[in-house]
Amino acid sequence: MAKAIKSIKKIELTEDEKRAIDLKEIEDALIDNKEALLETLEVVGHMKDRGVISLLNGMFGEGDRVLKVLVDLLSTPENTMAIKNLMLLVGALGRINVKELEPLIDRLNNGIENVADNEDNDHKTGYLDLFKALKDPEINRSLSMLLLFLKGMGDDKKSNM
Amino acid sequence: MSETIQVTINGKSTVVNDRMSVLDALHNNELDLPSVCYHPSLGAIETCDTCMVEVNGEIVRGCSTRLSNGDNINSTAPHVKKAQDIAMDRILYNHELYCTVCDYNNGTCEIHNTVKQMKKDHQAVPFDPKPEGIDDSNAFYRYDPDQCILCGRCVEACQDVQVTETITIDWERERPRVIWDNDVPINESSCVSCGHCSTVCPCNAMMEKGMEGEAGFLTGIPDGTLRPMIELTKNVETGYNSILAISDMESAMRENKIKKTKTVCTYCGVGCSFDVWTKGRDILKVEPQAEAPANGISTCVKGKFGWDYVNSEERLTKPLIREGESFREAEWDEAIKLIASKFSDIKQHHGPDALSFISSSKCTNEESYLMQKLGRRVIGTNNIDNCSRYCQTPATKGLFRTVGYGGDSGSITDIEMSELVIVIGSNTSESHPVLSTRVKRSNKLHGQKLIVSDLRKHEMAERSDLFIRPSSGTDLVWLSAVTKYIIDQGWADEAFLKDRVNGLADYIESLEPYTLEYAENVTGISQEELIKIATMIHEANSTVALWAMGVTQHSGGSDTSTAISNLLLVTGNYGKPGTGAYPLRGHNNVQGASDFGSMPNMMPGYEEVTDEKVREKYEKAWGSPLPEEIGLNNHEMVKSIHDGNLKCMYLKGEDMGIVDSNLNYVHAAFEKLDFFVVQDLFLTKTAEYADVVLPASPSLEKEGTFTNTERRIQRLYQALEELGDSKPDWKIIMMIANELGADWNYDHPRDIMGEATQLADMFAGVSYDRLEGYDSQQWPVTADGKDTPLLFEEDFPFPDGKARLFPLEWTEPIQFDDEYDLHVNNGRLLEHFHEGNMTYKSEGIKAKTPESFIEVSIELAEERGLTDGTLVRLSSPYGAIKLKCLVTDRVQGKEVYVPLNDSGEGAINLLTSSYADKDTDTPVYKEVKAKMEILKDKGSSPLPKVNHRFGNPQPQIGVQVERKWARKDYLFPGDMVKKEASRFGKGH
Repeated sequence: MAKAIKSIKKIELTEDEKRAIDLKEIEDALIDNKEALLETLEVVGHMKDRGVISLLNGMFGEGDRVLKVLVDLLSTPENTMAIKNLMLLVGALGRINVKELEPLIDRLNNGIENVADNEDNDHKTGYLDLFKALKDPEINRSLSMLLLFLKGMGDDKKSNM
Repeated sequence: MSETIQVTINGKSTVVNDRMSVLDALHNNELDLPSVCYHPSLGAIETCDTCMVEVNGEIVRGCSTRLSNGDNINSTAPHVKKAQDIAMDRILYNHELYCTVCDYNNGTCEIHNTVKQMKKDHQAVPFDPKPEGIDDSNAFYRYDPDQCILCGRCVEACQDVQVTETITIDWERERPRVIWDNDVPINESSCVSCGHCSTVCPCNAMMEKGMEGEAGFLTGIPDGTLRPMIELTKNVETGYNSILAISDMESAMRENKIKKTKTVCTYCGVGCSFDVWTKGRDILKVEPQAEAPANGISTCVKGKFGWDYVNSEERLTKPLIREGESFREAEWDEAIKLIASKFSDIKQHHGPDALSFISSSKCTNEESYLMQKLGRRVIGTNNIDNCSRYCQTPATKGLFRTVGYGGDSGSITDIEMSELVIVIGSNTSESHPVLSTRVKRSNKLHGQKLIVSDLRKHEMAERSDLFIRPSSGTDLVWLSAVTKYIIDQGWADEAFLKDRVNGLADYIESLEPYTLEYAENVTGISQEELIKIATMIHEANSTVALWAMGVTQHSGGSDTSTAISNLLLVTGNYGKPGTGAYPLRGHNNVQGASDFGSMPNMMPGYEEVTDEKVREKYEKAWGSPLPEEIGLNNHEMVKSIHDGNLKCMYLKGEDMGIVDSNLNYVHAAFEKLDFFVVQDLFLTKTAEYADVVLPASPSLEKEGTFTNTERRIQRLYQALEELGDSKPDWKIIMMIANELGADWNYDHPRDIMGEATQLADMFAGVSYDRLEGYDSQQWPVTADGKDTPLLFEEDFPFPDGKARLFPLEWTEPIQFDDEYDLHVNNGRLLEHFHEGNMTYKSEGIKAKTPESFIEVSIELAEERGLTDGTLVRLSSPYGAIKLKCLVTDRVQGKEVYVPLNDSGEGAINLLTSSYADKDTDTPVYKEVKAKMEILKDKGSSPLPKVNHRFGNPQPQIGVQVERKWARKDYLFPGDMVKKEASRFGKGH
């Protein structure tokens, strides 16, 4: 005769038994990840030396508060503008055609070099010097290039599309 | 039939199908066209206007425009793009883009993806919040008007797919919004929480609560910080491209922590399959897929939201062994050794037939196969059965007699396309919710006719074209009378009967007594109504019959099932699309449990145990002789225990101590067993009587296959690790078998299926590879893998290929003494399942449907002074139950209805008897009478006012986009770019 029963005697583990099981689990994990753990410990050591650990500790310890402060800080108009500018700049950099720019930059470097070499030169340039200089092929090429650049800059490509 | 036509798309000539919309044609040619509100399972909704496209110089909506030969389509001209852009701006005015901190940022957000696809960098009209806040009232999903783009997908799904007709859009208010019923909070509406709306929502407006704060890396941030973060993200935005790039990265990172696993629902027999999203052990959501063969995007509340039981604190995690007055947790090794030694001992002293095995309709096909193999091969008895004995065995019997296969004749799609659906004794919208939506939809939209025969005016009856209420247990009489009338009128399908059916003459002779007068007298249905039924069947080109427990759980359950099949044969409604017999299977794997041999008289694939050739085949494969005699079924087992012959029972996944009839008798039997092993998720009522209880794992924690009501075999994959020390049933059965010396080596359910398909011809071509993902197979499956969605197209599985008409005599229901004056009907509720062991673990379900009740009619309430909440006792000759009343017009006169979901003082089977169907021993659950006494006059209603049954549905077809177009502030984007269009036209 087996009457209906409901009570269950659970397997109660003693504190020591639970501890032993937990320790075994941790031990297994340590052995399974030996290499990774040792290397990580080295990194942690360096972080401790640099004070990074206590910094992170503070940040994570007060996670939501820190995040709130950070978000509030970033939300001020100047900072929002700064982030916006940064993103715009990143966008603009992405559009510059460095390949085409390269020869120009080489020449720019030449020019800067030239100026640097003659830094102490206090020679004054008169009108006549200017006209003479136009005949100088190097200067003439620079000027033509500048004129082309100015023309390109003034051209509103979008509106002509 | 569709034809191909020639059109020009963006200057290129191409051939398309004339049934295609412009949108389909573009997508087929791998061309982009934004289409935010379009959903392949819902069709064109026409609310979002993003699919603006030019056809023959006119801008139109691509989703709803059909193509003709020679059409010229342009989807890329600047003015077309501009029109699309205007539409998208309107969406972004309604929806705040904060993708990275949005729980819906999982790669499927239509808005995110369309912004990206359109390379949209800015919005012309800024987002503007709506006046009302979030509706958080429902337990399972919430609605955020500020994220809602008013696409109307939820309305289409609620009105025309699920057909609960709760959700509409109020287009006339200043800022339109989605509303429930006549604008009440979600929780107070007629919403049944089926989840369709959150499944089809293109964004995070209608979202499952399990997702909230869980899906993303940054979405769990408290509101105080989250809001400034959203503002910050918006303020620094330099265009959407960079924002979307970051959210795409975050979305990709989510793949790492959210697991999406295809599974098959574990509740009813419809066999819905879907992805379940898990994070660790947490279930975030259930995500139905359009490709799911039985259900597509559909679910009911249980499949979509009823999974809390999996993580319930009450789950068993260790084997339990009875010791004195309590159970003691034990390790597997001890429990298995104890079971093996007891089994051996009892077998040695009393013979193998002193042991019995009960398989589960909740477990997989593989587990059913192993259970019967354990009984037959290892112990040597055919005493093996499963719970379909309690429900659908009579239907199987009726079909075996007439057409030769015991399963649905076709697929759910056949039911959907049929011209006439006859529902007999089935509360389909509560028992098979997703299947019922197909009938409700076809009836609402496509002119399908619906006849319902039931005692109770349930939802299907409300919706029917003809509702009849025959006296309980008399369906056979009206079915036979209608069949006779059809034959007498010359409306029988003569050609079909001549070519494909045997036994017509004898059958016609047997119909002699079933005149309309006789039927009217016995059933109470008027002759006019009987003639109307016959006429409707005659006029329909295709008819299907759906039936369930209202037919089978009677003294003549098998006969009534046979009568249904006879009627279908006489009218030629077999073997053609949209026809056939559909005994709706109650559990996820009722079909499979029998298919794979857990029956006392059948081996897997319905081969007889008494057939020597069949036994030889299995003896050769299994390497040992098999028992020759038919074993005991469930019903006989209980009697055999009382008789002192059956000593031991091993039962898995079945709360027989609640679901079998005449519980006091069953409990007394359990007490007499020498040794009783129960395997379940919980310490069920049945398990309380066990000597050893084994902790099993539910469907989400294992692999295997289920077979649904359509005979469709589908795979489930493991979503979660087994909880604690619980194990899948197949592993437990194998441990017991091996302890008894069987030496089984199944590494995976795949191996078990491999063995079964080699032996059972019916499943020859079933394989795990062919069932990969959402692929499925409907038996019979030939060795080359060809399956059978529609049975009997060529022939019936009898030696001469012909079906058989089966003469019948009506069996009168059980009679009760006059003092038992109330007929007690009983059955299912939508939101609870069976004895409630799983669904009562869901807080959300419990809040809306906390307890069982007795539905009493308005007449009875007046006569006896009953109100909602009156506590009464019902007593039958077999026992008594105690429940509160609910007064409703769903029942009439002296008939009451008790849901079967209580496992305490309201357990219906305390009232039921041990009488059974004369042919199959299925208990006559539906033949109960009782007397009522009032225990407490007044009390709170057992059904809270927030239950959907008190809601106020608002039926309409679709989202009624015309009302949007009629608004003064609505301009068609195509009209707004006319100037550009004419300039473009001149330039080209």
